[in-house]
Amino acid sequence: MTTAPEVNSLIPTYTDAPATDVVHVRGGSLNAVGVSAWFGSNKVLEKVSLEMPANTVTALIGPSGCGKSTFLRILNRMHELVPSAKLSGQVLLDGDDIYDPGHRITETRKRIGMVFQKPNPFPAMSIADNVTAGLKLTGTKIGKSDREALIERSLTRAGLWKEVKDRLKEPGSALSGGQQQRLCIARSLAVEPEVLLMDEPCSALDPTSTRRVEETIHEIKDQVTVVIVTHNMQQAARVSQQCAFFLAQLGTPGDIVEAGPTTEIFGNPRDPRTEDYVNGRFG
Amino acid sequence: MTALLDPPSAPSAPEPTPQIDDVPRSIDPGLPPSDRIFFGVSRVIGFSVFIIMAAIGLFLGFQSIPTFKRYGFSFLTESAWQPDKDVVGISAVLVGTFTVALVAMSIAFPLALATSLYISEYAPAKFKSFLVSMVDLMAAVPSIVWGLWGFFLIQPKAIHLAHWLHTHLGWVPFFHVDTDPEASPWAQTRYAASAFIAGIAVSMMVLPMAAAVMRQVFSQAPVGEREAALGLGATRWGMIRSVVLPFGRGGIIGGTMLSLGRALGETIAVVLIVSPAFDIKFRPLEIGTSTISQLIAGRFGEATSSQLAALLTAGFVLFIITLIINTLAAMIVARSRSGAQE
Ligand SMILES: Nc1ncnc2c1ncn2[C@@H]1O[C@H](COP(=O)(O)OP(=O)(O)O)[C@@H](O)[C@H]1O
Ligand SMILES: [Mg+2]
Repeated sequence: MTTAPEVNSLIPTYTDAPATDVVHVRGGSLNAVGVSAWFGSNKVLEKVSLEMPANTVTALIGPSGCGKSTFLRILNRMHELVPSAKLSGQVLLDGDDIYDPGHRITETRKRIGMVFQKPNPFPAMSIADNVTAGLKLTGTKIGKSDREALIERSLTRAGLWKEVKDRLKEPGSALSGGQQQRLCIARSLAVEPEVLLMDEPCSALDPTSTRRVEETIHEIKDQVTVVIVTHNMQQAARVSQQCAFFLAQLGTPGDIVEAGPTTEIFGNPRDPRTEDYVNGRFG
Repeated sequence: MTALLDPPSAPSAPEPTPQIDDVPRSIDPGLPPSDRIFFGVSRVIGFSVFIIMAAIGLFLGFQSIPTFKRYGFSFLTESAWQPDKDVVGISAVLVGTFTVALVAMSIAFPLALATSLYISEYAPAKFKSFLVSMVDLMAAVPSIVWGLWGFFLIQPKAIHLAHWLHTHLGWVPFFHVDTDPEASPWAQTRYAASAFIAGIAVSMMVLPMAAAVMRQVFSQAPVGEREAALGLGATRWGMIRSVVLPFGRGGIIGGTMLSLGRALGETIAVVLIVSPAFDIKFRPLEIGTSTISQLIAGRFGEATSSQLAALLTAGFVLFIITLIINTLAAMIVARSRSGAQE
């Protein structure tokens, strides 16, 4: 249904994004230091450390259940929403520990946005209201013309503007799954985060929407640091500059086996397990 | 059999594909016996509930015919209930019924909303099931106990609150009481045995049902949307406002209306607390009112057969009102997102 018209415009759309009204010149740098995580008494991450430099795309790869989502959710304090969840270690955003009691959770989550595996637009809100939901939720005031500009800019950055510009008042739930996911990306971008975390954002998407999301990642990485979990090796190779391979050996908590430039991980991995995994001989 | 006689594909027929009737075909494989028994039993039970309801309605409706024939429309407009003078009407008791229910709902609604939000959104996991069972326990307390509670424990305090409301908000007709609030000593008895005090007791009886329905729908609010809101930097309250409350709207309205249906029919607490009065008034703080169920309970024992018919007619009106309200409530719950997902 939706793919037919989209195929004609597979050429990257991000070129029509106005480059002048970018708010953040650069993204934030994230640094996880010795992060362990538990659900109840079940330890799922063991002293994981990873640097995610500003304005790079870091891909987290690894078999299911090795703690990638858990690690990602620790990076913007979503982990603690699970009642039994515990963690140790530090997560530094531009050098400051986001778990420091002096930092407000809401502020941290605003600076470090998240796109989830399952598209989760607010179904009762219009497309336009979905985009600006973050501003409303954080009590950020914005003028009417600024608001319209922000909606257009965010949807353009997410590669969705052309498809929805004539139906901004329709509910977000009226979109296809791929469009909904891009709407969620637009919604995250609208609050101008410094870091954007993406948990398998394309796992439920059609190929065209997947391409659009990848184009979006390319386009935003000059302003936003991106950390993306993906099961798709080609995608990891296409979008990321840095790659971290997670693994949880039977009965042990997850850990990073190898991390480094994407070209190294895919072209010349040091660990044989990494080599097996990226070549599809594993998990 | 006849199909066998027809050549299925006559050699003369050039068409290679077999003939398929272009009509919907049955694809129902039929039920295994165990399912069939289960469905049969539950269908009978379901239908018998419906039949009992219909029988009650028909019985009351049938019994009401003579009364409606005799008094006509004035049965609904007349306020006095004096069968010995051949004057009966339910306008005053209708107003009283709704006044008590209104008081009950304006207390129960905010409490139920706050209780259910606290239980589903804020309470620590360990505490949650304890709170749920406490609220359920409230529902298990017999009406008569709530009535006694209202009479002995609440009334002495509530008359002071009523007096205070009258003193400060008396210019609003709803809070007016026909006495001088500044008099000293002020007339305590004018504030006792009122719709307000009965409404407080009734509110405690209907609160658990409203809270249970609301909590149920709140806890069904999708995790994905909750996390979306929190991930954007929303506070917990911001998330509740943008996700949980819109999602639970049907349950809030439906649960409230279900409780309203119950509040309208509540009898024993009203009988215990309120002193009967048959004037049409919207002054819940003032002594005396009457509700339909109170009227029926109070007059049933000494009623002659024509009085009995009139009481049954009043019951019929109450039955119809609660039926309409409960049906609307069920429709609202079913239409809402939260109801449709079940
Ligand atoms: N909410 C939860 N409660 C308990 N255990 C969980 C929860 N979420 C994840 N886990 C466990 O944590 C481990 C890591 O899960 P996850 O981070 O989702 O892995 P991945 O994203 O790499 O597939 C798994 O063993 C999983 O069973
Ligand atoms: Mg995962």
